[in-house]
Amino acid sequence: MKFLFNIFQSVRPGFEEGGRLRAFKPLYEAMENFFFAPGSKAMIAPFARDPLDIKRFMTMVIIALVPALAISFYFFGLRLIAMIMVSYIAGGAVEVAFAIIRKEDINEGFLVTGMLFPMILPPTLPLWMVGVGVAFGVFVGKELFGGTGRNVFNPAIVGRCFLALAYPAAMSGNWVTAGQGMTGRMLEWASAGNVDSVSGATPLVLAKQGQLVNVVDMFIGSISGSIGETSAIAIILGGVFLLLTRVANWRTVVSTLGASFVLAAVFHYNDPERFAPALWHLCAGGLLFGAFFMATDPVTSPITNAGKWMYGIIIGVVTMLIRNFTGYVEGVMFAILLGNIMAPILDEIVFKIRIGRLKSEG
Amino acid sequence: MKLKGGYNILLAGRPGSTVEVLPEPEVLYLPLRTKRFDFGDICVKDGQHVELGEVLAKDAANFSIPLLSPRAGVVRLNAAEGHIVLEDITKYQKQPKTEQANVPHVEHGSGTVRSKIEKMVSLGAWEFFCDAYDGNVPDPDEKPQAVIVSTVSLEPFLSRGDAQLKNRLLKFTRGLEHLQSLLEYQPMYLVMPQVRSSFASKVKDHLRGYAWVKLIEVRSKYPYDNFNILARRLKLKKDGGPVWCIKTEGVLATDRALTRSSPCLARILSIGGPEAKNPVHVKGVTGYPIKTILDKYANDDNVRVICGGMLTGQTCGEGALGIDSECRGLTLMPEHTEREFLGFVRPGFDRSSYAPCFLSALRLKHRESFSTAMRGEGRPCVSCNFCEEVCPAGIMPHLLHKYLYKDLIEEADEARIDLCVRCGLCSFVCPSKIELTKQFIEAQDLIEKEKEEARLDAIRQEKKRMEEARRKEAQEKGQEEEY
Repeated sequence: MKFLFNIFQSVRPGFEEGGRLRAFKPLYEAMENFFFAPGSKAMIAPFARDPLDIKRFMTMVIIALVPALAISFYFFGLRLIAMIMVSYIAGGAVEVAFAIIRKEDINEGFLVTGMLFPMILPPTLPLWMVGVGVAFGVFVGKELFGGTGRNVFNPAIVGRCFLALAYPAAMSGNWVTAGQGMTGRMLEWASAGNVDSVSGATPLVLAKQGQLVNVVDMFIGSISGSIGETSAIAIILGGVFLLLTRVANWRTVVSTLGASFVLAAVFHYNDPERFAPALWHLCAGGLLFGAFFMATDPVTSPITNAGKWMYGIIIGVVTMLIRNFTGYVEGVMFAILLGNIMAPILDEIVFKIRIGRLKSEG
Repeated sequence: MKLKGGYNILLAGRPGSTVEVLPEPEVLYLPLRTKRFDFGDICVKDGQHVELGEVLAKDAANFSIPLLSPRAGVVRLNAAEGHIVLEDITKYQKQPKTEQANVPHVEHGSGTVRSKIEKMVSLGAWEFFCDAYDGNVPDPDEKPQAVIVSTVSLEPFLSRGDAQLKNRLLKFTRGLEHLQSLLEYQPMYLVMPQVRSSFASKVKDHLRGYAWVKLIEVRSKYPYDNFNILARRLKLKKDGGPVWCIKTEGVLATDRALTRSSPCLARILSIGGPEAKNPVHVKGVTGYPIKTILDKYANDDNVRVICGGMLTGQTCGEGALGIDSECRGLTLMPEHTEREFLGFVRPGFDRSSYAPCFLSALRLKHRESFSTAMRGEGRPCVSCNFCEEVCPAGIMPHLLHKYLYKDLIEEADEARIDLCVRCGLCSFVCPSKIELTKQFIEAQDLIEKEKEEARLDAIRQEKKRMEEARRKEAQEKGQEEEY
């Protein structure tokens, strides 16, 4: 790889102070450090550092998304790839623009947002909406707060929330029935204009009309819904991997799923006619995807363990309340946004208690 | 004893417990500055001939701790910056003294406590003592509230108790008796690793019947050997007086000073790290040329020499020529040079990481050849909470970092930044590569300085007030007398 390294070294002066392209230095640095591990050294103790860095940390999330990506590619087809590309390009442009304005490094957090965002959208959404949504999410959800690490809300959810409010028809009208057979829809371009592939409703919509979709179908994912959220098995597979690598915290996942499961069970027990069973709720909609991949975002979830438990319970409870008692069919998005707002407060409470305990020591 | 946090960094090159003797040096370079001491008070003249054990310099600020001459030779004061150089050592080398009669136990009632401690200070044994809370040399005149003796050494890599205690167990137990004779009623704790080995049971056998030694076993997890953490866990209050802390070499030095009345000159150092050819313990003296050691023990020229362990040590720069009097081991790390192509997506079968994000998680525990690389770019905190998980002091490094980032020193003080023991683990595990330990050390020093200033200020004002009151009184008296 000497060859590539030499290219980088030869164009480097252009990006240095005084070079013609010096404004684009963050972009250059990001590219160089992407291909070649940074050359910086630990000059003060400790004299060696853990091999894990933020790039690797974020890569783990992408790897965990692979099962869900693969299975949704089978169910929903080629369009998925186009949506991911648009999401990366539009969101990346905002990220790079802000890095240049701030004269800071480009943050790897965007690699995850850009991948997560298309996975929580309906498969027929016009591509320009994907671009607008991700740009809005990165801009308002992250950059306005000061970039990765300082944001209060999960940028992907902010983008989705914006689209859901601005284009409600496109966001809830056209769903694609999942592909079948050997190739599924892998060779199809299933868009809103493609009539034969567009179906009526997701399991949650059907449930409002008194129709319960089979849990086994929801477990495998052969149902209509947002791209990444349909297959419970693929999400659990990737999610458990994420928990094992400790990039996502198990407390958030357990408390979110536990709280919603318990609450759904209580509802179902009291009125089985009106409320769906707990297991059905667990597999329906974006609950699993939200619990494993969205709620666990370390930046926007509480940092303390006690805070994580409370945060998960809030998300689980609010999701079930919205699903069962409001006009909305799905509540995960609003529940996580609400959880994000609560996160700093929950942390603050735990900090207060812990500092009070520390004070009496020594 | 149960302690929280901690993490063992699996660094390659753990020194074995064999002890090699370094070849006799020709020249010694004795550094005048060490981590705690500054031997600014030089007691010899240039060109003077000194005997073995003669005082070369003293640290005036630290109860006149002496820098002793480890060999007989000729002093050169200006030969190397920051060092006293001792030349012509081979010329004056004497035959080693015949071994004295074996004294199995301490004779009680020989000398007062005060005279014993004075002897220890002048023979170079006192410098092995430190206070549990501030890490400085304790005041010889002050009575301690407790003594903690530790044979555990968990940082990669410092000279370990088992290497030092081989063939010296008798001296060690006698040293403990000496220490006990310095105390009145205060407790003495002996910290041992929680391991099952024939050597550990041998040590315990030797200590049988020493009812005044309270044995404590800690798990072998860095930094459970940290005196500050141990003292806190033993509920020794900071304002209850000093807590004397001594490691194995300190007990052996005490024994040497009080039984033999001879100076403590030779020490056992560890030489470890990925770049060490043959990681061992060696017996050497203060001022031993680092270059000679490197020629013999380092693999490569491109090596970072660290005086002390990897987590808390200091780089031995170009200027450092000899082993300083506080050094307990050299860690040799490969200097980072190669920039890996697509390093972050590699499977990482050979990487040993805190979080199981590499393929190495599937493999049995192995030691990695860490280099001095940062392994990543500096990024804002992503609140992963790893720093809090490893923190042995029970504080919240991520919160302190956020306070310090916003210059909220007072809040950091409230959140007990003073409990930080500077173990370096938070900086090690941080995936955002934030220099947490460095920030905390700076903030601690700043707060300490401010508090000291405030204290002095209060004293000054109190004095002023008293003086004014006195003047007023005198005036009134004068007026009365006039009447």
